Amino acid sequence: MNAAVDTIRFENVSKFYGEVLGVNRITLSLSPGITTLVGPNGSGKTTLMNLMTGLVQPSRGSISVLGLEPSNATEFFCNVGYCAQFDSFPRGLTGFQFVLDSLMLFGMSEEDAHGLAAEALERVQLDTAATHRNIAGYSKGMRQKIRLAQAIAHHPRVLVLDEPLNGLDPMARAESMSLFQELGRQGMHVVISSHILDEVDRVSDRVVLITGGYLIAQGNIHEVRQEVRDKPMQLLIRCDKPDLLASKMFAVNHCVEARLHADGRGIFLRTGDVDQFYRLLNEIAIEGAVKIEAVAPFDDNANAIYQYLIGSDGSTV
Amino acid sequence: MSVFEHDYRPYEGPTTPLWKRPLVLARYGLAEAWGSKITVGLAVLGLLPCVVDLVLMYLANNPVAKMLVVGGSKVLEINERFFLGVLETQCWFALLLAAWIAPRLVSFDLGDNALPILLSHPVSRFGYVLGKFIALTLSLSYVTWIPLLVLFVYQCYASPVPWAMGHLGIAFGLFVGAAVWVVLLSLIGLAVSSWVKWRVIATGAMFAVIFVPAGVGGIATAILRTKWGLLLNVPVVMSELWQRLVGAPNIFQGQMDLPNSAIVGVLISASLVCVGVLNARIRAREVVRG
Repeated sequence: MNAAVDTIRFENVSKFYGEVLGVNRITLSLSPGITTLVGPNGSGKTTLMNLMTGLVQPSRGSISVLGLEPSNATEFFCNVGYCAQFDSFPRGLTGFQFVLDSLMLFGMSEEDAHGLAAEALERVQLDTAATHRNIAGYSKGMRQKIRLAQAIAHHPRVLVLDEPLNGLDPMARAESMSLFQELGRQGMHVVISSHILDEVDRVSDRVVLITGGYLIAQGNIHEVRQEVRDKPMQLLIRCDKPDLLASKMFAVNHCVEARLHADGRGIFLRTGDVDQFYRLLNEIAIEGAVKIEAVAPFDDNANAIYQYLIGSDGSTV
Repeated sequence: MSVFEHDYRPYEGPTTPLWKRPLVLARYGLAEAWGSKITVGLAVLGLLPCVVDLVLMYLANNPVAKMLVVGGSKVLEINERFFLGVLETQCWFALLLAAWIAPRLVSFDLGDNALPILLSHPVSRFGYVLGKFIALTLSLSYVTWIPLLVLFVYQCYASPVPWAMGHLGIAFGLFVGAAVWVVLLSLIGLAVSSWVKWRVIATGAMFAVIFVPAGVGGIATAILRTKWGLLLNVPVVMSELWQRLVGAPNIFQGQMDLPNSAIVGVLISASLVCVGVLNARIRAREVVRG
């Protein structure tokens, strides 16, 4: 398959709202799977999503979604499903009517639309009786589900979800995440923006970090973490003699911090040079003085990357 | 990294032609507009003058009833002047209805931030406005040209002498006059509603847009002693247009005669301003940082 027709591409894209910067000089290439946009409020995530869904036009640069440009509206929009972050609907509709009319706007016949609407509502596990009630009477979680159903009902190839987990209870959140994972596995492009970084970690194939309208990093979480060389990496080492291991590690200057695990069977280490650290750890293991059971990166996750690259106040670090 | 199975199948079934999509929005709009009891009440109220006109036409065309009720005077003559009165009455009722319905069509979508959802479908901003426009014009037609033409047809049927062929110009005038007003009202209604998110204020703004410039135009006309200030007066402009279209005698008796080209120019300009406002306001943009 031609790579261009299976990727979402941003080429040097900028978007200004008058004098206000939306996003600036974004160059991205997203392949199938789950991509999560991470950034503080007002960082440009929604602008990026609006650009991706053709709702706003870039001030500069070009966007192609699966080889289609937003100017080719008919084909473009049929391939994109969008779940906006706003808890908003056309007034006076039942859940089923909302999805049905949405499908008819996509050009489905009424008969096809009925079948697809029922399928989508079943997929998001919205109670059948509830789908025939007015949306105004829905709980926040139900409204989130109906928006999701509307976004997936027409079988798009790209699903753009702006904070789709907001307002969902833990069970519904888990169900939604599992649906995203299933769609991602099937080869669909699922682009999510979320503030729930733990869940981002669990499902994302890649993250895009953005702040102040600028792209900070993109790629697989582990790859991005390894690129952040100026922040010492934290590792958890499970072993039988953590105090001995700590003393050996402190003999070299790239280890900047060591902390014993609460159960006394492990140690948290922070190192500025991962390569040297692993070399030393190999040597210690070969010596046999310390029996090493497991080694795992401890800050190799979206939350840590967010803290390192963006910081808790939203400004780049 | 996930293993991508590539077994996802997008929808590849038949789709309806693109031109049909705004009709879905029109259906939304009609359901929204007529879901209100006040809309139904206004529409019923708007048809009451037609019922009165129908009775008058019956009386005028029935010599016995005419003799009994008005003593055979010529007060009840069904002619261009009578239909001009009917046209004006219905058209002003249409303003009431438009002021109520138009904000329900657009202000709600803006207030609820529903535009991004709707515009992420293969329907353009033009398609969105067209859908709402169709819903509004159909709703206004219900109290304007449809009952007017029904009255005309009734007069053709009830007249004891051959009447229709000699007065086809009235039917044309009724239809075109009402259609021009309905289109103008729809554009003004949608433009005002796209500008004002609050429904009640949008309803008030509809009247303000029609009558405030009329006041300003009246002041300009009086102070500058020129008839051109009347071009800002939509009621006067429309009255002149309707009178000419129906072929009724000039109610302003030549004192404030506006040229046809000026009337057409004003109506086109007003429509273009409304289109400009809609173009500026109907956008899918959600978030502006700053």
